[in-house]
Amino acid sequence: MKSSRFSFVASVAIAVGLPACSPSHPTLASVEVLVQPSAAELPDDPIDARWNSVAAFHAALIPQDMVEPRQLQLSTREVQVRALSDGARIAFRLEWTDATNDDMPMPAAFTDACAIQLPAAISADVPAPQMGEPDRPVEITLWRASWQAMVDGRGDTIQDIHPNAVPDHYPFEAASFEPGSDAQRAAQLRYAPARALDNPMAGPRAQPVEDLVGHGPGTLAPALTTSSTGRGKRIANGWAVVVTRRVPDGLVSGNRTQVAFAIWEGGSQEVGARKMRTGWTPLLLEVKP
Amino acid sequence: MARVKNWQLGREMSYWYPESRPKKQFAAIFDTNKCIACQTCTLACKTTWTSGRGQEYMLWNNVETKPYGFYPLGWDVKLLAELGSQQWKGSVYEGRTIFEAARPGERALGWRPAEQDYAHPNVGEDDCAGNIEKGAAFAGVHMAWFFYLARICNHCTYPACLASCPRGSIYKRPEDGIVVLDQSRCRGYQECVKACPYKKVFYNPMTGTSEKCIACYPKIEKGLQPQCFVNCIGKIRLAGFISRPEDANPDNPIDYLVHVRKLAKPLFPQLGLEPNVYYLPPVHVPTQFSQQMFGPGVEHAVREYTHADADLAGLLGLFGSTEQIVPRWKRTGDFVYGLAEDGTELVKVPLREPIHERLALDPKFDVMRTNCP
Repeated sequence: MKSSRFSFVASVAIAVGLPACSPSHPTLASVEVLVQPSAAELPDDPIDARWNSVAAFHAALIPQDMVEPRQLQLSTREVQVRALSDGARIAFRLEWTDATNDDMPMPAAFTDACAIQLPAAISADVPAPQMGEPDRPVEITLWRASWQAMVDGRGDTIQDIHPNAVPDHYPFEAASFEPGSDAQRAAQLRYAPARALDNPMAGPRAQPVEDLVGHGPGTLAPALTTSSTGRGKRIANGWAVVVTRRVPDGLVSGNRTQVAFAIWEGGSQEVGARKMRTGWTPLLLEVKP
Repeated sequence: MARVKNWQLGREMSYWYPESRPKKQFAAIFDTNKCIACQTCTLACKTTWTSGRGQEYMLWNNVETKPYGFYPLGWDVKLLAELGSQQWKGSVYEGRTIFEAARPGERALGWRPAEQDYAHPNVGEDDCAGNIEKGAAFAGVHMAWFFYLARICNHCTYPACLASCPRGSIYKRPEDGIVVLDQSRCRGYQECVKACPYKKVFYNPMTGTSEKCIACYPKIEKGLQPQCFVNCIGKIRLAGFISRPEDANPDNPIDYLVHVRKLAKPLFPQLGLEPNVYYLPPVHVPTQFSQQMFGPGVEHAVREYTHADADLAGLLGLFGSTEQIVPRWKRTGDFVYGLAEDGTELVKVPLREPIHERLALDPKFDVMRTNCP
């Protein structure tokens, strides 16, 4: 029904005291969401033309240098953020410069990634931006280039990393196992304990994103389920990623919460706490007539 | 950082967490003089634990040739070069540990091996370095020396992997001190890989987590020695539990060799982890090298080893004599006994195996014997 359709504006503005943007961008900016009928799907493709009409907020990034292991080198300097909402979900489009495509985690090699963090509860008093606090958790949605590559079809065998590799033998591929049988799967899990324990890191993956909850540094844990979706693409000079998550509980039109962003440059050995981040940034949701 | 006591350094040191010793501490002794680098231990471990996808390059147990071999490449020399002066004054370490030498923003001084650093284990590393002059091999140190160093996780008292994990995914089991990595919690940051100076934590690109030696704890819980111990052809290994020096029990074979006779030495104690795998130092190696690798007291250890008395020779005979962990031992006459905690005999080994001489001439049939292959 046409009258029930919502239109929202998600505004992202720089909070007082946050590092200034580069001189080429205004120190205060907002992202206005175009009118989106609820029947229309939010754009999940980062190069969808609809994003072109959405103004970008330029968020300055600073090294995470508060908690060991600390990031002491400045790498990615800025992330451009656009946001759209249909009332139920918010799609964030993040774009940043990254000369190298790092999507293959290996020994001493890390994946490019980005994350969006919001307080789990709407309140005037926000939790610490460093992954929240014990009694004031934060919700994080993480996108990783390596997961995107898997979703896009890369397998998880040694040949997917090194095409000419020839392993001698895997016990679970012995002729005595019927291919695809429970016995074979069980034998395979014996050598993949993280998979046997359902660690979400271990794949296989249907989405290149993971919903997480943080109660402070070192407490990051998977959410009960991952309802967010995502899609990332290499663009000419870096990455463009769309992460779509539900509107935070209690966030209604005219109300505001906070949002923070993080970027990992895998080629610079950034992983975990070694990352570039923003502080809290106001996120305003408005219905526009 | 907390201040903790590291008896291997003869002093207190800084560590990320306060001192918290387990009820029992898994420990092992490897006899470098018996190892022939047959890699049976490596294969026993590989078959048991790391035959899955993403584990192809992993060797939780490896044997490398010193001084020419490394797995991964340069694992020890890279860190030693960065650590700076490692002087001892007697049995007190005067240099810095990897925790005390940590760079700003880090919990330990470390580095991450690249994938290619794991790519060529053992290739060409034990080619003979030169001719050994006649009799030199029996005389002690000679200049064509090399030796085989078998390595597993040291299940350290102060693990760098545990200290460096920002998620607390690594812990020491309170019941036996075995260091394990929680596979349900790890997120593959590889901080542990970077921090472990022995490079005994490995990243699995297929599961996205890091993995490490678990000392075959399902066997330890049943009173059995790990796979790499019981499959050792050269019988160079003994697993058990170690006490602190002040609580040393001469009836405990590990305590006897480490604390009482001071024969078994830790690997690079100056790094500060109080590792719990001990080595009987090689007898042909220049003291300067051995001391850097095994700390002070190696001359004493080599002298004791090469002039072993009946007790020592007997105890060394217990290595590899049974699959069971031998918590107690005794020598009576020409036999050495491995005992359970309650004194029950687990194994009995003669100090000297009986010798049977097979004469070349068969006196009964009056024919010469031939040795058929």
